[in-house]
Amino acid sequence: MKKIIYTFFAFLLFAACTKENNTTKVEPVVSLTVNNLAADTIIGITPGVPPLGGMPYGAGKYTFYSIEKGAVVPSSDSATTKWDIAFRGTAILTNSGNGGPGAGGGFVYVGLFEDLKTVPSDSTFRTENVPTSYAIPFGSNKGWYVYDGLKNLVTPIPGRVLVIRTASGKFAKIEILNYYKGGVTPAATASDNVKMKDQRYYTFRYSFQPNGTKSF
Amino acid sequence: MRFSGLIVGLFFGGITTAMAQVGKTSRADTLYGSANEIVVTATRTEKKLGNVAVPVTLISSQQIAQAGSVRLADILQEQAGLFITTGFGAGVQMQGLNPDYTLILLNGEPLVGRTAGILDLNRITVGNIKQIEIVKGPSSSLYGSEAMAGVINIITTTPTKNEFALSARYGSFNTSDVNVRFNFLKNKFTYQGFTNNYYTNGFSLRPNSQTSFVTPINRFTQQHQLGYQLSDKTKLSGLIRFNQERITNQIAVENNGVIVNSEGKESNDDANFSATVMHRFNNSIKTSAKLYATTFTSEQELATTSGAPYTDYFKQHFLRFESQTDIAVSKNLETSVGAGYLVDRANSTRYDKKESTKENAVGYAFFQSEWKPLEKLVIIGGARYDHNALFAAAFSPKLALKYSMTNTLNFKASVGRGFKAPDFRQLYLNFTNTAAGGYSVFGAIEAQKIITALKGLGQIASIEQDYYSLAALQPEFSTGYHVSFDYAPSQKHNVSVGFFYNNINNLIDSRLVAYRPGGAQIFSYLNVKTAFTKGVELNVNHKIGKHYLISSGYQFLLSGDASELDKIEQGKVFTRDANGYSKLLNASEYVGLPNRSKHQFNLKLQYQKEQVFATLRALYRSSWYVTDTDGNGLYNTNDSKATGFIQLNATIGLPLTKNITMQAGCNNVLNYRDPINMPNFMGRTGFISINYSMKQSIEK
Repeated sequence: MKKIIYTFFAFLLFAACTKENNTTKVEPVVSLTVNNLAADTIIGITPGVPPLGGMPYGAGKYTFYSIEKGAVVPSSDSATTKWDIAFRGTAILTNSGNGGPGAGGGFVYVGLFEDLKTVPSDSTFRTENVPTSYAIPFGSNKGWYVYDGLKNLVTPIPGRVLVIRTASGKFAKIEILNYYKGGVTPAATASDNVKMKDQRYYTFRYSFQPNGTKSF
Repeated sequence: MRFSGLIVGLFFGGITTAMAQVGKTSRADTLYGSANEIVVTATRTEKKLGNVAVPVTLISSQQIAQAGSVRLADILQEQAGLFITTGFGAGVQMQGLNPDYTLILLNGEPLVGRTAGILDLNRITVGNIKQIEIVKGPSSSLYGSEAMAGVINIITTTPTKNEFALSARYGSFNTSDVNVRFNFLKNKFTYQGFTNNYYTNGFSLRPNSQTSFVTPINRFTQQHQLGYQLSDKTKLSGLIRFNQERITNQIAVENNGVIVNSEGKESNDDANFSATVMHRFNNSIKTSAKLYATTFTSEQELATTSGAPYTDYFKQHFLRFESQTDIAVSKNLETSVGAGYLVDRANSTRYDKKESTKENAVGYAFFQSEWKPLEKLVIIGGARYDHNALFAAAFSPKLALKYSMTNTLNFKASVGRGFKAPDFRQLYLNFTNTAAGGYSVFGAIEAQKIITALKGLGQIASIEQDYYSLAALQPEFSTGYHVSFDYAPSQKHNVSVGFFYNNINNLIDSRLVAYRPGGAQIFSYLNVKTAFTKGVELNVNHKIGKHYLISSGYQFLLSGDASELDKIEQGKVFTRDANGYSKLLNASEYVGLPNRSKHQFNLKLQYQKEQVFATLRALYRSSWYVTDTDGNGLYNTNDSKATGFIQLNATIGLPLTKNITMQAGCNNVLNYRDPINMPNFMGRTGFISINYSMKQSIEK
């Protein structure tokens, strides 16, 4: 498993609370940036030539991640509620529906990460019904990214926030920052070899509300 | 043909195009493109430039020769407001519109054979050009499809006396260019034969690259023009032209990290044939009938060191019959009416199969009236109707006026509609990239058929929303407005300032319509976009004394898509800040269409005294955006751009003896290079040319 570097710049944001309930213990909202999370990186190229063959492929395994713990979860725990989201290539899975036993779900919010202070009350959390439908819609320009087939590059669309319900039913928001190693998208003119080798490394930031409310 | 040196002694008995102009004294005191020059493109009738109500730029053979230009792209890139684009040959961007939307004419007849919408301007030699006329703004009212951004008409020389002319030039990268011209006049018969041979070794800006970005190429052009004055009133003329290009290049193709070396061979052949009868019934009625046929054949073969060779074949046939009658109804009213029928055919391996011929037929009629209600006012109104066999008809009206406010100040205004019919590529393309990604592009007519068939084979993973919007393609339309003031206080000075605005609807753009299993994308074409371009053009010419001329041009250009601006206004578009975090995109960060420079400026200093001349030409182009790097689907200041640059070109010419002149030049003196964004923009290059001429012409 790739080494994961955590950058911790957690700050104390108190969930909207009044004097009446400040007797209960208030956990701070956790904010993290995760760098270089490998998500089924390329291990080979299918036989033949494009478009049917000659396509890069990985081992086909999801990388499972616990938002609550801020750590990668071993794939042996894939059938548990220990993980909240999983990554494989450009596909992102929540621990819900046929994706896992958890009470998870998610949707894509159009707007700024900072502006999403509360999950809107009328939000519908989608659950997994893969491969037919994903909670976080899969495909170019459908969910969080756009793939340019001519330049052969994946770019996260700015202004897309993944609102996630964790396996235990708590809420988090995620902004994907980059899809390439080191958090830098190769130049459009870079060789296909570089574009292939460096892809499927997620850099993202998230905020998690441990107290179960929808406010960040 | 290789030229390994200059063999002066071989050049005999001639006068070159360059020579024919140098030393000409008739226009010594006037500026280029002065009001008395005759132009034909703007109105399809011979008119003095000063009397034309629509903006026309005239490039004379003298300007071409003194700039040392050999191919059409060389001279066009020095004009204000024209950009030469790269990729699929040299195209021309006019008033901020792509090369697809500028019609290229040779003696009034369209050249065909576009690749990805681009007609390679390097295919055309300027060795026998009398003048180039550039009409900016929609001209479909006279010329039909493609004349949306404007028209460039290349007018070749006509024989006026017996003559044998020869010129030769040699320069960097073993580049040679040789022209031979032969004029023969006898009684009522005229003939001109012209041939040009161009060769270059090509070059690559990338060190150690085996592939030459500008490929080694040999171009050979032959043109024969015949004229016969049947009677005082009737003239027959004909033209035959052949153009051949032969390219051999070593190409390294990378596929998923595996480099395959191959030898690429390419041939491009043009043939043009036209026959015209012109008859003058009386002083007020003149009519012409023209038959024009042209073919363009392009073949490419890549013999790879491993695997099957890649071949590409494209052939276009264009046949047209047209008749035009000009009637001088009264002293103040002239009318032209015309009609024509054309058949356009193409065969290509880029479509379903080489053997199946794609065909479109167009019947059209047009009229134009020029009315002078007042001594100082000229009004032109015209329209054209094109009936297409393959898609919807197009109606293109135009209205223009010219008002002489004073003897030295003219005001012009025009509004017109232009259109471009969908081309065969947009209708029938069947292309799959076999390099990484493996995307496919299918023409609008074929897409649903092909995707349905692929689906049956289990080769479609998912269908995108745009697939359901696939429909018969419509022509693209534009409406262009133009207003200008021309101020010419004397024959030696003039200033003009013009404002233009083009609003384009129904733009055809490629859209993602389906995915294959494995993620390869499938695109097709839809009428989905709108765009606008607007700007200012400024030209100043100033002659100092008898021998010095300063001329400059400037274009300010803005472009964009109204629907993109709406989305920004509604706060639906984002970009990223320095940390990579999303932020709202501000309207001021929007840059409009890519590959367009906001500012373009050129300055030319010229000295000329009889056969001695020197020119120094500076061209400036401000930065332009190339890639949407932030993924928001439009271009803004956060995206990657090419930096602006200055190109400096210089030439000198002088007579060596009474009969021999020579010219030397250096292009891109500052040696500006940008291998990423302008891989075929050469570094500093030099050339030298020698012309020998025998003054006495061969008498009749």
